[in-house]
Amino acid sequence: MEQGWRQAKGMFWAMLTAPLFWLVVFFFVPLGIVWLYSFGENRGLIDIVFTGTWSNYAHIFDLTQPYLDIFVKSLWIATLTTFFCLVLGFPVALAITFAPPKAKAWLLLLVMLPFWTNLLIRTYALMAFLRTEGYINTTYHVLFDMANAVAGGHLGTFQPMELMNTNFAVVLGLVFVNLPFMILPLYSTLDRMDRSLLEASLDLGAGHISTLFNIVVPMAGAGIVSGILITFIPALGSYLTPDMLGGPDSQMIANVIESQFKRANNWPFGAALSFILVYMTFIGIAIQGLLERKDAGRSA
Amino acid sequence: MSDALIKHKTTPPGPLEYLRRWPLQVWLGLVAFFLYAPLISLMVFSFNDSRFTTVWRGFTLKYYDKAFHNSSLIEAFGNSLTIAFFSTLISVVLGAMAAIVLWRFRFPGKTAFNAGLAIPIVVPEICMGVGMLVFFAKILPWPQNLTWPFNLGAIIIAHVSFSFPFVAVVVRARLASFNRELEEAAKDLGASEFRTLMDVLVPHIQPSLVAGALLAFTLSLDDFVITFFTAGPDTVTFPVKVYSMVRFSVTPEVNAASTILIIVTVVLTFLALKFQGSSALTAGHDGGAETK
Amino acid sequence: MSLGSSRRSLLTAMGAAAVGISFGGLSGCTKPVSKSINFYNWDTYIGDTTLADFEKETGVKVKMSIFATNDELFAKIKTGNAGFDVIVPSNDFVTYMSQAGLLLPLDHAKLPNLKNIDPAFMNPPYDPGRKFSVPYTWLVLGIGYRKSAMKDGKVPDSWKWLFDSDVYKGRMALLQEAGDLMRLGAKYLGHSVNGIPDEMLKQVEAMLIKQKPYIKAFHNDDGQDMLLSKEVDIVMEYNGDIAQVMKEDPDLDFVVPKEGSQINSDTLAIPKDAPNPEEAHAFINYMMDAQAGAKIYEKILYPTPNAAAKALMPESYKNNPVIFPPAEIMAKCEYAAFEGPARAQVYDAALTRIKSA
Repeated sequence: MEQGWRQAKGMFWAMLTAPLFWLVVFFFVPLGIVWLYSFGENRGLIDIVFTGTWSNYAHIFDLTQPYLDIFVKSLWIATLTTFFCLVLGFPVALAITFAPPKAKAWLLLLVMLPFWTNLLIRTYALMAFLRTEGYINTTYHVLFDMANAVAGGHLGTFQPMELMNTNFAVVLGLVFVNLPFMILPLYSTLDRMDRSLLEASLDLGAGHISTLFNIVVPMAGAGIVSGILITFIPALGSYLTPDMLGGPDSQMIANVIESQFKRANNWPFGAALSFILVYMTFIGIAIQGLLERKDAGRSA
Repeated sequence: MSDALIKHKTTPPGPLEYLRRWPLQVWLGLVAFFLYAPLISLMVFSFNDSRFTTVWRGFTLKYYDKAFHNSSLIEAFGNSLTIAFFSTLISVVLGAMAAIVLWRFRFPGKTAFNAGLAIPIVVPEICMGVGMLVFFAKILPWPQNLTWPFNLGAIIIAHVSFSFPFVAVVVRARLASFNRELEEAAKDLGASEFRTLMDVLVPHIQPSLVAGALLAFTLSLDDFVITFFTAGPDTVTFPVKVYSMVRFSVTPEVNAASTILIIVTVVLTFLALKFQGSSALTAGHDGGAETK
Repeated sequence: MSLGSSRRSLLTAMGAAAVGISFGGLSGCTKPVSKSINFYNWDTYIGDTTLADFEKETGVKVKMSIFATNDELFAKIKTGNAGFDVIVPSNDFVTYMSQAGLLLPLDHAKLPNLKNIDPAFMNPPYDPGRKFSVPYTWLVLGIGYRKSAMKDGKVPDSWKWLFDSDVYKGRMALLQEAGDLMRLGAKYLGHSVNGIPDEMLKQVEAMLIKQKPYIKAFHNDDGQDMLLSKEVDIVMEYNGDIAQVMKEDPDLDFVVPKEGSQINSDTLAIPKDAPNPEEAHAFINYMMDAQAGAKIYEKILYPTPNAAAKALMPESYKNNPVIFPPAEIMAKCEYAAFEGPARAQVYDAALTRIKSA
């Protein structure tokens, strides 16, 4: 499949130089500073000294500290978010793929448009729905009163649903925010799918559902994996959503990192916490690589 | 209800016309409601005659008036659009190049490059923000008092750094379905490497370029944390402005500004579609495997 | 394909521009040196015309940038090369920054309007002799509440209702500032907000962990919004924030608890590496002018330490018991002192444990 780089040197360097340069100079150098901080210590009022210490990492894995629990909780919330994004987003990506070209453009626009609005504003908008006296509870109240009138008051007094400041609200908010990250890569892959296979499957009498699971999902494997990755990772590192929609126990790891860089002003520890997330990405990518290899093996 | 809708059509839905089947229509409707209801409520409440979002106190346009006369808000708005524009442009080019290299070539250090590209996606924003803060303070001090838009350069650089890997992911997913034989055929017919790339490969990945551009634009327009730490004096962006406005509970004015932003976006996209034809978002779809 | 080549030439141009920006092509694009200063302030924390008026009077243009927390301000100033001339840190950060050598000592000879400041604010513990800062506003933490939702119609005039009681179960929100929570917890237990011993910190932590099931949320200084939208009935907030929402909903009120509370003060200061210290002094002096000050406080509605400006304000401001709580209760309030950078880490770790408990 792939070409050795020597076979087309000119093309190879032309394509590689710019992204590599950018990545190294404008990303790895700034990040490298923070990475060095993760092995550093605070000195005096504002200085950070690189001492090569592992104490920041040791502190995270100290079981008497809450940090590991917070990691586990964040992983769990990110997993739920990714799952719901996939379930919600896959049919949408499918519908866009098989839409006529005109409708396709509009559907893509429909998916993307909400995300041109500021994240903070969107989260605020969501809060208006979830509040105790928000739209959902107001609607529920009206319906409840109607049902109660029919039931002759046997339903008792109205109790609003507790939606805001819960872990439920956090997952809902994260799905709301991350859905296009799932839909776009899915669409991108599905759109290039060989449709004759689907038609063959349907012609041979397979139902739509079984065609979906036996033909479409395996063929969209790469897109699904990249969709999962591109949703899961930002969800894991999300800060604003748990902060605004969460309850007293909804803190995620990014909230802790944020407070280390700000309130606690402990940059070395914040850096160590951040890099645990980075190390976890490597694991995620390794898994993706493994899946892709398996994929390639199957199609060969 | 949806059944009735389908009966209006002259033909029954074809086997792959999923959009015309009611379960998917219902599903699309629900997702659209989920995505749009909060935004529409936001737009409605931008006309609310109260400083707070949740209590309706009658219709007013005064927050639009305020937003239009808030010169710092307008300036922040302009800054954000400028940053998003340049950042998207650079990100799409860099992201596509990275994706093509990774898809096409075998080379030493490929795994490392691939993993390296994924890091910007995972690094917590605050961590990268601090990195950028120190970088532009100590390593590459960004001069103060540059003329617009050069004073935004540091922010644009930072935005490209976290945006172009996203573009690369999207483009790569698309490349996976490219039929290499097309490229070989083009070369056999005497096209140069570069012509082959531009005439065969680029049209194929165009939908993902557009999708990637949309993603990059969104990320840039949305970013608060990294921007905040990278921004010098006098380079307030829209999210930074909004963030502090929301903190001080002046939300209707922010709602008004957001409503304007949404409308501007819709109009711009509409114009782009008119100029390019609707193919801007779907190019590469026709003339593919499903020619019928 | 023309699209391709035009894109490529654009890329080349962009590349050239990027290189030009990064490596010294800058001399040509710096602005002509007109007098202007960079003011780093909280948003909505200035009068509508203050900056324009100052420019009219002195010819110096003021460009305002905004931050939302002291921590953000500190992070920027700490790394240097920030380019700001006047900043607005709170009291404990004045101490922190001045000790770290990040602030320029003020030249009082260039600040004749200091005479307008209430003498009570002229020698605060966080900046003795006003060497580094002049006071801009002050604020006090207390309890904002919905009158009709209070049990037996009583005023919740004790921290007990927020820290140590299930009466307002699920209807209360606390400020998400580790330091403020710990200090006020200690205040409730009868200690000063400063010099809290470790055992007492543990006690406060245990108390808040016990209280957590009854707490609806830790808010980011938007407690007034939660109160107004009836999300909660009782909330820990600053007086100025509650004063603003009381105009919207007369059922809301504010009280400084009988145990006393914590006062904060936002100040004007000049960073060490300020490019234009001369103009910065002139600007700070202008902000302390009686007329100019009155215009600011009329707009922002925070309590002012500027006696001359206060005298020009309407009765509705001067005699508002929420903006200016009764003197006998204010006597029990203290400034939180800066107790070293490690202290903030201790407080923050405690809040992290409380939240994950």
